[in-house]
Amino acid sequence: MPALTPGCGHQYNPPPMIQAERLTRYFNDSAAVRDLSFHVSHGEVMGLLGPNGAGKSTTMKMLTCYLPPSHGSASVDGVPLERSLEVRRRIGYLPENAPTYPDLDVRSHLVFVGRMHGLPRATLQDRIREMSDVCGIRQVLHRRIDELSKGYRQRVGLAAAMLHDPACLILDEPTTGLDPNQIIEIRQLIRRLGERKTVLLSSHVLSEVEAVCDRMMILDRGELRALGTSAELARLSGGGAGMLVRFTGDGQPAMARLAGEDDELEVERSEDGWLIRHPDPDFPLGERVFRAAVDTSCVIVEMRRQQTSLEDVFRRMTSEGEDRA
Amino acid sequence: MMSSFWALHGKEWRISLDTPLGYVVATAFLFASGFFFGKNLFLYGQADMRGYFGVLPLLLMFFTPAVTMRLIADERHDGTFELLATMPVSTLTIIAAKFAFAWGQVGLWLLMTSVYAGSLALLGDVDGGQIAAGYVAAFLLAAFYASVGLFASSLSSRSIVAYVIGFVLVLAFFLLGATAGTLPVGWQDVLALVSPLAHFDRMLRGVVGLDDLVIPLAWTLLFLGLSWFQLERRQWQ
Repeated sequence: MPALTPGCGHQYNPPPMIQAERLTRYFNDSAAVRDLSFHVSHGEVMGLLGPNGAGKSTTMKMLTCYLPPSHGSASVDGVPLERSLEVRRRIGYLPENAPTYPDLDVRSHLVFVGRMHGLPRATLQDRIREMSDVCGIRQVLHRRIDELSKGYRQRVGLAAAMLHDPACLILDEPTTGLDPNQIIEIRQLIRRLGERKTVLLSSHVLSEVEAVCDRMMILDRGELRALGTSAELARLSGGGAGMLVRFTGDGQPAMARLAGEDDELEVERSEDGWLIRHPDPDFPLGERVFRAAVDTSCVIVEMRRQQTSLEDVFRRMTSEGEDRA
Repeated sequence: MMSSFWALHGKEWRISLDTPLGYVVATAFLFASGFFFGKNLFLYGQADMRGYFGVLPLLLMFFTPAVTMRLIADERHDGTFELLATMPVSTLTIIAAKFAFAWGQVGLWLLMTSVYAGSLALLGDVDGGQIAAGYVAAFLLAAFYASVGLFASSLSSRSIVAYVIGFVLVLAFFLLGATAGTLPVGWQDVLALVSPLAHFDRMLRGVVGLDDLVIPLAWTLLFLGLSWFQLERRQWQ
């Protein structure tokens, strides 16, 4: 690793927190994950999106050293997966469904997890107090885990994953089974955590990833379909520019004129007014619509930009896979 | 490494103390032990523990798998094995901590039966050496059974299935010993040398040779190795 030498003109670039190079995992003969390459920077919240069976959990299991990759390599905080114990020390992992010991009470479970990570007794008590406040489980610390609701169990799992203050959190569907209020709380918590830590979280709920993550990748059938911010993905998927326009009258003359101007413009009548699309996201739709309306003496009462939602991107990206098959 | 060993070992004791099953099994074992000990003492007037130690292989065959069955099977069933396997702990430590718990638990039961040895000493002259050899043999047998039970638990994600497998495996060793007389002479010698139960019987007679200690320990290590292999296998599939 290059040393940081102030004043020498060298800039120190830390290695990414997670770096994966052509990660591949086969189960029997079928590939659950194929040639997956990506990186997650320090302090970044990365979302792993995909339909069921896309390979999200398998990817996480490889990064947490539960399953070795069939091919490819990866490192966490610069440590290759082969140095498994060191990697595991740096990671806080919440597996799918947040497994916990049903026969233990919450405090004993947390004490066990903390001691497994080698936390000294005094630190452990402080961390348990801190994490049970953060995750809102203080009032259930003495309850047996099998008496808790799914939501509480999920929070206990999250508290356990963060107990040893890891630099990197890997969370497999952290909000499954929670009620809407809990989902909002956990999302806020992840957002807060993302200010200090690197988080990789998987979800099949698009709005969640959009709300929480800096960047996201879309997996389908084990392959990376797209990677970027939600705006980049929308652009990448060919979302283009869209606008909804309403006139006092019918607006037909303005729309006919507009449609005649550019072959690539799509104009269609919808329940709310007219829906106009152009494949180029930078196309000056507003200006063209306004001019067409002025030229034909139509009066505009509403003009609204239509964003390509992540749902559209997701559907487009993952249905490509279906077409291919 | 040691801290994770004790953390895991402590967790197993905690679960065992927090759930009724541990108490039920321990009570049943002590009750059965008391019955066989009393039977020899009062029915046949024997002031020794040979009769009791004689039925111990059968008793432990029923009770040890009840301790070991959940150790790995339940971790798999509840999904906590993934949690465990992604913590900074080696498979070897997992096996060692779980085995140490199982052996410790059965060992604790055996220690409790020392009350019987104490009461014999009050009643009359007892052969202390023979009883001590009996206990050494019993602890070694418990280690062997615990390792077989742990291996059985690594084969299934359902503890009841793990119990049955563990029971059948030790039963196979027991039956092999029991039918030794029907085998050709050469085979009988081999069996006498390698069977952990044959060495157990020899130690009950008060004779403890080095091989009587080594052979049961070697079998224990073999089954611990198989359990380790079974947990590591997912890495190679």
